[in-house]
Amino acid sequence: MVADSQAIQTRQLSKVYPGFFKSQQVPALTELNLRVDQGQIFGLLGPNGSGKTTTIKLLLGLINPTSGDALVMGQPAGDQETRRRIGYLPEESYLYRFLNARQTLDFYARLFNMNRAERRRAVDYYLDFVGLDPSVRGRRIGTYSKGQTRRVALAQALLNNPDLIIMDEPTSGLDPVGMLEIKNMIMRLKEAGKTVLLSSHQLADVEDVCDRLVILYRGRIELEGALRDLLEKKDVFQLSARNVSDALQAKLTQIAEQEGAVEILTGRARVRLEDLFKELVARKRSGELR
Amino acid sequence: MLGLLQQLGPKLAGGGIALGTVYHPPSQHHYVSIFADVVVVLLILAFVLTAFRDIARLGRGFSRAWAIGRVTISEAWNARMWAVPLVWFGVCVLLGVLIVRGYEPSGVVRVYMTIFLRAQALILLIYLGLLACVTLPRERERHTLVTTGSKPISRLELLLGKVMGLSAAGAIMLVTMMILTWGYMKVVDLKIRHDAQVLYAMQKKSYDKVQRRMPPDTGVKYLAKHGMLQAQNYVSGKFGIAGGVNYQTNPPTRFLKGGSSEVLYFEFPSLPATEYYRPMFEFQFPVVHALPSTKPVTIDVTLVQRSNPMNTQEKTLTLNAAGQVFWIPKNPTAFFSYGNPQTGQIYNPGPVVVKVTCPDFGVYLGIGNGLRPPNQTSCMAVSLDTNRTPHHSGMLAPKANPVITGFKNNGKQEIVGPSVRHPQIKPEVASWDFPNVDQQQIPIGPHGNFTVHMVIRVDKQSNEARAPVAQIVAYNTSTPRDRTVQSVYVNEKRITTIKLPSTLLEAGDLIINLRSEVPGHWFKVKENSMIIMQPPSSFIWNLFKSEAIIFCEIVLIISIGVTASTALGWPVAMLTAMVAYILGNLFHFVQGLFQSGGLQLFDYVQDNRMKHIWYYQIGSFITNVMVHILWVIVHLMPDFTRYDPLYFIVRSKDMPFEIVFLDIIWTLACVLPTLAIGYLLLRKQELA
Repeated sequence: MVADSQAIQTRQLSKVYPGFFKSQQVPALTELNLRVDQGQIFGLLGPNGSGKTTTIKLLLGLINPTSGDALVMGQPAGDQETRRRIGYLPEESYLYRFLNARQTLDFYARLFNMNRAERRRAVDYYLDFVGLDPSVRGRRIGTYSKGQTRRVALAQALLNNPDLIIMDEPTSGLDPVGMLEIKNMIMRLKEAGKTVLLSSHQLADVEDVCDRLVILYRGRIELEGALRDLLEKKDVFQLSARNVSDALQAKLTQIAEQEGAVEILTGRARVRLEDLFKELVARKRSGELR
Repeated sequence: MLGLLQQLGPKLAGGGIALGTVYHPPSQHHYVSIFADVVVVLLILAFVLTAFRDIARLGRGFSRAWAIGRVTISEAWNARMWAVPLVWFGVCVLLGVLIVRGYEPSGVVRVYMTIFLRAQALILLIYLGLLACVTLPRERERHTLVTTGSKPISRLELLLGKVMGLSAAGAIMLVTMMILTWGYMKVVDLKIRHDAQVLYAMQKKSYDKVQRRMPPDTGVKYLAKHGMLQAQNYVSGKFGIAGGVNYQTNPPTRFLKGGSSEVLYFEFPSLPATEYYRPMFEFQFPVVHALPSTKPVTIDVTLVQRSNPMNTQEKTLTLNAAGQVFWIPKNPTAFFSYGNPQTGQIYNPGPVVVKVTCPDFGVYLGIGNGLRPPNQTSCMAVSLDTNRTPHHSGMLAPKANPVITGFKNNGKQEIVGPSVRHPQIKPEVASWDFPNVDQQQIPIGPHGNFTVHMVIRVDKQSNEARAPVAQIVAYNTSTPRDRTVQSVYVNEKRITTIKLPSTLLEAGDLIINLRSEVPGHWFKVKENSMIIMQPPSSFIWNLFKSEAIIFCEIVLIISIGVTASTALGWPVAMLTAMVAYILGNLFHFVQGLFQSGGLQLFDYVQDNRMKHIWYYQIGSFITNVMVHILWVIVHLMPDFTRYDPLYFIVRSKDMPFEIVFLDIIWTLACVLPTLAIGYLLLRKQELA
């Protein structure tokens, strides 16, 4: 029996993609034991082919496990009623190209048995929420840019106000500003008490928002734990300050050497390119720069 | 269930509702029907057991399924669905304009309706069948099924949604086509009415000026006023329906219909001229009982010398349990050739005909081609004395494919009138039985009469100058002694109206017998030659019912296509749906082959000694298995031949609602097991 506090729990979950011959069989996931608490932002990391998307599809019941089982919100994975409480943003925006944004969200809202008024309210709210330009909402999705499509895909994932949101590469195809918005959105979801399972190649994104993470490699967990614990170097101290003269820098280095510190690095601090880009765009938007 | 319905259909329709032109006797291979029923029941049982949770959720699930359906309609629209009715209309109008040249008004409507409705069914079957086969595979290829599958929707709802969506798309196109058809036919009808008005005015003018002896045609006046676009309601006689030959199978399955006026003619061109002997006639018919009966079946046999029709001999024979009976005619020398051993002279009476009728209603006697395959009993043969007729040892068979003066030649039956040379021979009588006439809405005229419409053709063998006269004898089965006898002049190929007293419309069946009164005048009649008119229905309602039949057919092909595509790629799914459609159309063909022994020819060998060779036996076994597998597969396929949207509307007859209702029930009965297969295939399938 899974504890109420756990949103996801897998036990010895394995998946082998079948082939005609045994040699063609592909083991995608091997005995995965995963635990995601409710209210957490959980990162699922790993290189290509490590089994991240397979794990997500298993949790949604889109594919069947070879062995083991998974519980989502306390129910077996793929349970129809449980899927009412789940939002899923796929790796690519798999949407009907012949529908426009409104029709797309209206269709998914119908699958949640929302009535007409609820549908209209939810569609408008989430299209605003993901920041889709109102002028393009009546156009067919086939004509959208990748970023616009991604926003519609994100809106459909949030449409039912889910308790558990599974995001597979949520910032894929978005510009850095869009990425920042998504990250802010994820943080807001966390504040609202939602659980987020985040699978991403963008390590910076994961680092910025996740509480816990696992790193998968060839279908097995290689590393698991709280982000702070995993990233903290217990024997390294870092100091950052403004208005530091060369003399003070030399003095500080000297003190450190006298106290027995080793591998001392000093130098000017550097801003990250991502931060520089975001600051520039923010200043342009605010009219500070012309 | 399918087998049961296939048998039940014609029986339900037997009481005056003509499903097709022909009654289909029940299959003799009952075990195949039972097997098909068992398969269908097992399928539905497996479906209910595995899908009970999904079925229980279907209450709210229908709205989710409909959401899928709406997207499917959008997809169809995106696939230029709107262009289909326009292309169809253009092609049909072009075809119509090219084909319709100088037809009479009823012919114009018939040709146009045939083109419009046939093309509708064909185009929609192809278009929606293809869409049904590609819609699920395309969702898989584009991964849209991943997003949809992550929502609270079951596989059953997904399947239903696809079928509902495509069916709705089909309905939209059908309604559009129906409106276009109606609009175009209205224009055609306006022209027909205008032409009739002009013709009537000319006739009237000519008559008023005493240039024309005949008064203006009231039929033309009626046409000018009402046009052709109406659906006539009429009561037709039960026995008027064809029974002799089932032309839907190839070769036709042939039966002699008991209780009807059908006559089977076996012809012997010449019997061997030898010394005196007493040949024995042998009859054997596979007997099919359409109604439960334990009574032995009887046949009336008449031996006729062709060159001297007065030389006859009659006998009523009772078939045994195997459908067999033997008869040795008295005085055979009157019919059979023989040689006088003393004088050496040979007496040859020429061709001899054996007429067979069956008076028992509900009984069908299998005819086949009248000949017997090796080692099987023919339906008729003459046993010869081998010692005395060495050149014709054993059984002598009549000419192949014996004639049935049943409804042959496109449903027309010829009834022979009085003989010119032999007035003692009674003319043949055509008989119509109108069941439950008291329950029909038959308008009664001011003089207490009702009107019977008769359309027949006259074949004048002699007395060409004389006007054809028919004798009508009408009575009610509850008062058989009160008979109304009338002699009426026949308007050849046109409507002849007969006024009959309304007292005949009592509880019971109305029987109308028809015969020719003029020697040498033969009548050609068919099932609807004698009808009692009722108030007409609207044309558009009748058109709607025809469209409903097409819709049922479309829904069935859609469900087959979607089901096939759940487990197969779209090209194989298309092939599967096509094969299902073709086999579904071949049901009666294969059934006919079985019943007439066609498929048994696979097992045919010239020399019976071969049957004892081991490799022949293995081959024979495999052939038998394959043939039976084909039969079972065909039996499991839905019978597409029952969807006939044209039969009533091209005859300007109102389609009884029972036909539509029966087809809807039939379609549901076929769609349910089809979707059960689809669900069982999709249930555990991975969507990503």
